[in-house]
Amino acid sequence: MAVARRAAPGHALLYVPGDGFLYRLNPLTKLTLVLWVAVAAFMLPTAGTWAIALFAFVTGVLAGAGKVFARRLLFTLAPLAVALFVVHGLLVDHGGRETWGPLDISHDGLAYMVRIIGRIAALLSGSLVFVTTTHPARLLKALDSHGFSPGLAYVIASPLLLLEPFSARARAIREAQAARGLDLDGNIPARLRAFPALLMPLVTLALADIDHRAQVLDGRGFRACPRRTVLDAPADSDGQKWFRRLLIATIPLVIAGRLLWL
Amino acid sequence: MKLETRTLVLIAAAIVINVVVGQLAVWVKLPLYVDAIGTVLVAILAGPWAGAITGILTNLIWGLISDPVAAAFFPVSLVIGLVAGFLARLGWFRSIGMTVAAGVVIGILSTIVAVPIIVYMFGGVTGAGTDFATAYLLAVGQELINSVAVANLGTNLVDKIVTCVIAWIIVKRLPQRFSSGFAFFGYSKAQ
Repeated sequence: MAVARRAAPGHALLYVPGDGFLYRLNPLTKLTLVLWVAVAAFMLPTAGTWAIALFAFVTGVLAGAGKVFARRLLFTLAPLAVALFVVHGLLVDHGGRETWGPLDISHDGLAYMVRIIGRIAALLSGSLVFVTTTHPARLLKALDSHGFSPGLAYVIASPLLLLEPFSARARAIREAQAARGLDLDGNIPARLRAFPALLMPLVTLALADIDHRAQVLDGRGFRACPRRTVLDAPADSDGQKWFRRLLIATIPLVIAGRLLWL
Repeated sequence: MKLETRTLVLIAAAIVINVVVGQLAVWVKLPLYVDAIGTVLVAILAGPWAGAITGILTNLIWGLISDPVAAAFFPVSLVIGLVAGFLARLGWFRSIGMTVAAGVVIGILSTIVAVPIIVYMFGGVTGAGTDFATAYLLAVGQELINSVAVANLGTNLVDKIVTCVIAWIIVKRLPQRFSSGFAFFGYSKAQ
């Protein structure tokens, strides 16, 4: 089955094939969890956001996606941490300053840095749990089986299906143009001149068969009915439905808790 | 609002153009994002709402498949699509001069939307090259929000002007049998 195929090198998706508990959860349950984490990341104090990030990270490692988590968290958080240290630890006047060798560092600025990193780590880890354990095709089936319109499903599904072949085509165009002497490693003017040579063939290709695809879709009557029937829809259960409702119901409580007690 | 099937197919292609051209800019090591060409293209051909949908979905799909942080900036893409469409309705994409002016307007408005996201969500930094400019402006005594705004405005202006000009060149080169199917494109045809 295409969904379970192991990712090729340079694959655009972060999905890691597997069959554990998280993979069997309905994608909409995981999506609701991401929504809850996104709200909690802004509402909970620093310790809460770090706890979410740690929990999500451990969950990701247990699901077999530890490498993706580590790489993505490192590449996103490391440059942000350096920039936040310089901006808030050294430059912005947060107060609580102390001299550490040649540096005049703000304690309050460092605390703010830890808070922001915790928030981004929670957001990133929470969404990575979803992204690494949910293939887009399964998400679309879940959307279809829960009554989302075929038009909406198409504008989400089609790019996901087209991205891989177009990324491959872009790589082929780059190699073909480089073989013809296109300078991709020169100075900025040389690279600016090289850009249209890569861009134009790709855009032309993307737009070339729009009419044909629209005619095929209309010919199949894909929007003739407001709902589509999915043959192998992702499994759902009463427990998951109640869990989703519970998560959504607690979102106002999390926000109220922040406003009233913190 | 029910979009035509042709517009839906165009939006799907434009999302792919946004993501893959953004990747091309990284390969060529351009100091620009150029990841909204498809959004502006749709806005010129099919109007502001189609442009806004393209922008939102680009960031959400990007977030879904490879970079969850990109999803946080979906309001910026929404504004780019919406403003480009309204400017197209006013005929700002009829000539290269007006297109550059449209790039300036879109650059300013998208910066206004991006700055609060950068400041309140990411503490004023993005982990990109603009952080050097932000740090420099802070060091010479500017407030954080002003530093982020000025640092990002410069990059955004150049980026959106280049984006609009490329989208304009593309739509001008489209065969008439293709563009004539999009009635909204009539507002951008030279008179």
